[in-house]
Amino acid sequence: MAMKIKIFHLYPDAMNLYGDLGNIITLQKRCEWRGIETEVVNVKVGDKVNFAEADLLFMGGGQDSGQKLITEDLVKRGPEIKAAIEEGLPALLVCGGFQLFGHYFQTKEGDKIPGISIFNAYTVAGDKRLIGNVVVDIAHTASEWQNQFKGAVSGNIQTTLVGFENHSGQTILENGTKPFGYIIRGFGNKGDGGYEGAIYKNAYGTYLHGSLLPKNPWFADHLIMCALYHRYGNVESLAQLDDTIEIAAHNAAIERSKTARTVSI
Amino acid sequence: MRKFLAILAAEFARSLSQLTKRGSGSALPGLVAQKIDPGIITKLAAKLPGGIILVTGTNGKTTTAKMIAGILEQDGKKVVYNFNGSNLSRGLASILIQHTNFWGTKMDGEVGLFEVDEATMPEIVALLKPTTIVVTNLFRDQLDRYGEVDKTATIIGHALELAPDSKVFLNADDPLVASLVKYNRNVAYFGIDDDYKTLSKGAIDSRNCLSCGAELTFNPRFFGHLGNYTCPKCGASRPTLDYSLKNLNFTVENSEASMITPTFSEKISIQLPGLYNLYNALAAGAITEYLKVPKGTIVYALNNISAAFGRMEKISLGDGKNVFLMLVKNPTGFTQTIETLTFDKKPKNILIALNDNFADGTDVSWIWDAEMEIIRDYAKKVIVSGIRGEDMQLRLKYSEYDMSKVVLERDLKSALEKGIATLASGETLYILPTYTAMLELRRTLSNKGLVKGFME
Repeated sequence: MAMKIKIFHLYPDAMNLYGDLGNIITLQKRCEWRGIETEVVNVKVGDKVNFAEADLLFMGGGQDSGQKLITEDLVKRGPEIKAAIEEGLPALLVCGGFQLFGHYFQTKEGDKIPGISIFNAYTVAGDKRLIGNVVVDIAHTASEWQNQFKGAVSGNIQTTLVGFENHSGQTILENGTKPFGYIIRGFGNKGDGGYEGAIYKNAYGTYLHGSLLPKNPWFADHLIMCALYHRYGNVESLAQLDDTIEIAAHNAAIERSKTARTVSI
Repeated sequence: MRKFLAILAAEFARSLSQLTKRGSGSALPGLVAQKIDPGIITKLAAKLPGGIILVTGTNGKTTTAKMIAGILEQDGKKVVYNFNGSNLSRGLASILIQHTNFWGTKMDGEVGLFEVDEATMPEIVALLKPTTIVVTNLFRDQLDRYGEVDKTATIIGHALELAPDSKVFLNADDPLVASLVKYNRNVAYFGIDDDYKTLSKGAIDSRNCLSCGAELTFNPRFFGHLGNYTCPKCGASRPTLDYSLKNLNFTVENSEASMITPTFSEKISIQLPGLYNLYNALAAGAITEYLKVPKGTIVYALNNISAAFGRMEKISLGDGKNVFLMLVKNPTGFTQTIETLTFDKKPKNILIALNDNFADGTDVSWIWDAEMEIIRDYAKKVIVSGIRGEDMQLRLKYSEYDMSKVVLERDLKSALEKGIATLASGETLYILPTYTAMLELRRTLSNKGLVKGFME
């Protein structure tokens, strides 16, 4: 019987600012090319869904208006999502999604928009918008991936991530919270060129879009491994795909980050 | 006296910059003049007897402005127009000075027509005091430059508040644009009154009611978030159209419709493809009807308009071969443009050139929101090029293109050569470039003597 995973896409209409669809397309295609079925469940405000049925969770970034529309709904779902993440549900949270999976977002006016506290982290509005290409060193995280599934691996894991960041919020990780990686080029969570993103169990928060997954296929494949493991309780190594075109785009993005200008306005 | 000195210094700066061949001399004179007389723009603009028209919005500014200019000129009016899109205030100062007499007492022109970037609208409105403003649409565009589309709407809204006496033409089919009425009630609405249905899924476009947040119902949706909408929850709906198009009909290169205005109903047939160009024609027709241009003049000028620089430009290579330059800037524009290529169901030779310079938008994420699948089955050969050619190649892979038909050639000149080499007699190379890629490709074609001067 063909394997199948269910991807829950949170608020695809309100939180879809920066090519977030590219992440979903990548997960779908990389499963499809290996004979793994996918079902994408679009979760909108008010929809009745059971997060225990999800094998992978995705949420992107939104405009302020989009975030306002969904915050209340997300907070209501918070405990259920938290329980699923504790059970090992893999999740990818990009930009606004990352922020709302922390404790809160503090606006310039000092108001605290509540998050759902998956990550022991909080975000404060910054004075500047940080915009540009990013290269992140994820060697530490990638080495953990190698050992996560008792020898089963997702293929050739490289130790960098490339993407594009565009955020004014600064996300501070509190004690014990693991960053996703460390900035080689770009601004990162706090705008200081230090750490990037956050990890809790199989939930990954990051400011990288670009889209993120197409140019970082090893991360896409790791999420697929996590999803299969979550569903079936065990997982075998994934079939190898020809990633020549993905790697060419990854390397071109690294090259471009050396010359393209970044902006903080 | 200050104005006189400003003009004198500006003319001097222009001569100097042209003499020393440092640029076309378009911004420097204005910069100099503004330094000497900060009020120069407002003073000169007030001397245009026919008033000032501003065109803003995400897509269609340049083409709409070009159409308005074409109609007004056909009507015998002299138009002062920032045709090269130089819409920073120093550029506007330069253009106005170019069109004034030595003493700055009289303008050589009747109507001012300016294409204005959304972000600079408040500043420009305060300076120029326009009589008429058109807002074409608001899509997400190069977010790294403008911030988010709701913020853009608020910025334009503030600009409209600064011009309470201006007549504002709003695209009724765009809920966000239509909502700008809250900033200025002196509006006229234009929109499409037809059952045209798009091939695109429009998944990325937020289609929530701006009053209550519920998902809008479209009957039909034309593209992106444009359409005839109603809110099932609060009952908000598209405003009544003052100007509309009916009976739409398209080919890959042309489009036809009936234009309905308060004073006439006439068929138009424009030499530009796609619904978005019909929107541009409708906006231009609406404004000029309001300015009392005779209907025959409007229709004649629209039917004879050619595309704005590189936006939709057919260039003959001889031997029955052509290239068709179709500028792409954002996902909705991209999706719309490729949708027009499917109208004749013929296989196409395509060149996609993706740059990520500042003028293109430095973030290429948007290509993942463009519905590349739409032309997949019509692609005979696709060459991908530009600084981010690899990203576009990857996008096509994930749209399940037959990658044996896709060629990566980073260098634009070589890509153009390869693209042309694929053409048989009678075929066209459809080029979809971002802005700076378009400039370079056009320069290459110009060096081959195939297009007129670099600037129109």
